[in-house]
Amino acid sequence: MCSNNNMASQCLTYEGCNFLRQRLVLSTLSGKRVKIRNIRYKDDNPGLRDFEASFIRLMDKITNGTRIEINQTGTALFYQPGLLYGGTVEHDCNPQRSIGYYLEALLALAPFMKNPIRAVLRGVTNDQKDPSVDTLKATAVPLMKKFGLDGEGLELKIVKRGMPPGGGGEVLFTCPVRRCIKPVQLTDPGKIKRIRGMAYSVRVSPQIANRIVDSARSILNKFIPDIYIYTDHMKGASSGKSPGFGLSLVAETTNGTFLSAEMASNPQGQGDPVLPEELGKTCAKLLLEEIYRGGCVDSINQSLVLLYMTLGQQDVSKALLGPLSPYTIEFLRHIRDFFQIMFKIETQKQEEEQKGGEKVLMTCVGAGYSNLSKPLK
Amino acid sequence: AAEAFLRQQRTTPNLRKLVYGTVAAKEIKDEEEEEEELGGLFRVSRPETSKKRQADGLDCSRYPPDGIHNWDQEEMLESIRDCFVTGKWEAEKDAS
Repeated sequence: MCSNNNMASQCLTYEGCNFLRQRLVLSTLSGKRVKIRNIRYKDDNPGLRDFEASFIRLMDKITNGTRIEINQTGTALFYQPGLLYGGTVEHDCNPQRSIGYYLEALLALAPFMKNPIRAVLRGVTNDQKDPSVDTLKATAVPLMKKFGLDGEGLELKIVKRGMPPGGGGEVLFTCPVRRCIKPVQLTDPGKIKRIRGMAYSVRVSPQIANRIVDSARSILNKFIPDIYIYTDHMKGASSGKSPGFGLSLVAETTNGTFLSAEMASNPQGQGDPVLPEELGKTCAKLLLEEIYRGGCVDSINQSLVLLYMTLGQQDVSKALLGPLSPYTIEFLRHIRDFFQIMFKIETQKQEEEQKGGEKVLMTCVGAGYSNLSKPLK
Repeated sequence: AAEAFLRQQRTTPNLRKLVYGTVAAKEIKDEEEEEEELGGLFRVSRPETSKKRQADGLDCSRYPPDGIHNWDQEEMLESIRDCFVTGKWEAEKDAS
């Protein structure tokens, strides 16, 4: 965690493998070099893992002129960012992590590319660790629209579903490029008007998805009648290589805020089998927890919204968030390291109203970042 | 209102310090953590220190609730009632 903020060398040094993605993303956007040392150096199996190597390769594919040096044991990484090129990219994501892991970085970088990105990512679409593609599609995409990224160019499509450990899923992501990002004022989340969801099952009985839906509805119906949970049972080639099922829930408010929760079954051969009823109930409770945290942005997208706010036009942006996640707190520190921007952080207490926990109002002035590599037309 | 303002003044710097200030504090703690030496040749490495867990932790944006509230209780359900359109509305707004 040692941040050597030396302006002359423009090289930031960090330790450990955690937050690798945000470091490389911010490095690419700011043009500052990054050195990461002591990656799992005390581990029995030291150095970068396969999924991290796969992520670094993806970064290499979407950029031009990036220099990457890794030492022999893989415990040290030097990254000199190149130009964000974009264009058509195909990538086989390592199935140790789901596509969400790779996609989150692409979402952050996509608007700042030279050419609009059209990425085909193959691997695991839903797992227990990372935000699934379903959830990102339901929450991150509408969020990006608020920053002026809209039109037909913005699309996230699940072509094939793949569960761990085998994977075999496929996702298509396209995003337009922008010269600059609009500032936002996300201060009023509004009220939840509907709940939507996606219960998916692959290579198991299609009845399982229905059982998930019934159990999740039994909890959520106490609050609101407008609930619709789609069931998605993919067959044949589009069902990937491993069996599994899960649920992704999204609550939509009157002001266009999307709060999500999700759960997936244990991967084949790992852990005890999960009952679909149990999974549906737990997921519904997780959604209530997320609603309790609240804010205008879902907890998994906190860092995405803060990044867009940082890189927006030189104007004030505001966003009301729920409690900051540890990942977001580290992201704020990294934003300070790379862009010298600090947020104003105010807690807001809801009085007398029954609206869950404390909220945090984040305010910043954008860096006025403009995408100079976007071609003029 | 003045009281609320003062309370906010008190809590705000704390959160800011929490986000931007702890880095220095953590570094100091790391230096204190000295490695024991055995016979001047081997060093005892303690793999599970809190610092290491953070630096080499799982790189994931999901925010798992540390202690999920008990959502079977009626009071908990009440506490988020007004987040929904079916809840109470502020005076100036209307369900149009």
